[in-house]
Amino acid sequence: MCRAGLMSSTRVLLADDHPFVRRGLRTILEATDHYAVCGEAADGRQTLELAARLTPDILILDISMPPPNGLEVAAQLRLSHPKTRILLITMHDSEEMLRAAAATGASGYLLKSDAEELLMVALQRVEQGQFFVSPAFDEALAEQLFG
Amino acid sequence: MSPLKVLIADDHDVVRKGLKMLIEEHAGWQVCGEARSGREAVEKCSQLNPDVIVIDVSMPDLNGLEATRQIRKACPRTEVLVITHHDSDEMAAEVMDAGARGYVLKSDSDTDLVRAVEALSHHKPFFTSRVTEMFLFNRGSRVTDPAEMMRNRLTMREREILQLLAEGKTAKEVATILGIAIKTSDTHRTNIMRKLDVHSVAELVRYAIRNKVVEP
Repeated sequence: MCRAGLMSSTRVLLADDHPFVRRGLRTILEATDHYAVCGEAADGRQTLELAARLTPDILILDISMPPPNGLEVAAQLRLSHPKTRILLITMHDSEEMLRAAAATGASGYLLKSDAEELLMVALQRVEQGQFFVSPAFDEALAEQLFG
Repeated sequence: MSPLKVLIADDHDVVRKGLKMLIEEHAGWQVCGEARSGREAVEKCSQLNPDVIVIDVSMPDLNGLEATRQIRKACPRTEVLVITHHDSDEMAAEVMDAGARGYVLKSDSDTDLVRAVEALSHHKPFFTSRVTEMFLFNRGSRVTDPAEMMRNRLTMREREILQLLAEGKTAKEVATILGIAIKTSDTHRTNIMRKLDVHSVAELVRYAIRNKVVEP
């Protein structure tokens, strides 16, 4: 499953229960030299297992997944593997969900509707230790929650 | 042999991208166009006349089921494959009722999608085993909810308008979108509310969400 990447490439694990979404994300990432997809997971349990085994630089993590859900996975991995940065990806555009996401210690919150356009920006920010929140949310709120 | 023309309709760019990759990896298949809403899907179907359309249920403006009904009418040669994340027996029944010949869950595998397009290209129906099981298992005992029966009495046009109203459009906006007179649009709204026995727009929205005409 692991693609041999260049020494300098950033290793990304994809976690989403929809194969078409994973395929779309993979296509976007593989068009770059910078990111290498090191694995794919279809539910929470598999994500925890692969994250522990592959220790990716970045985890792109869907919130609504067969258990444990993305928020639970994120919270757990922040404790066990703090080096892996987490970019949550979701179709939930509610402030409530954004707050819950921030509480897990994830670095980014990307709406699926923005995924193609903003995935690269989000990954760059997260990789550099900054945060990313989809522009549909209030900037000040995003800063307050993730900054 | 000319390639199999496939149209893709989903409001999420990343899903369209994934679907496009999957389809174009297959020799002899070509994605002839993409749509982001049900209405765009209907338009592009008429323009491009695809062999198969892969269409998402939850889309803005006109959902995938209503779009399917219109496509089946306008382009009877085009086979419709519905993709959805709702795995319920009601949804499977609705999909078939709308005239789609295939139904794949978004959580089904890549292979299922390819097999579905393949079957539809030969004008054969395709339902993943999970869906078939769910449908056959539940069909006999399916309780018909009175609200559901009422809904079936709405005409195609009324269901289309129901979605637009539930998305917050005014009767005037509905008239503009559909190219009909404001008075006609108003009459439709009155009829819809009478048939559904709802007395406010808020109730109408709740009805539409409960019956998955729109997403909450």
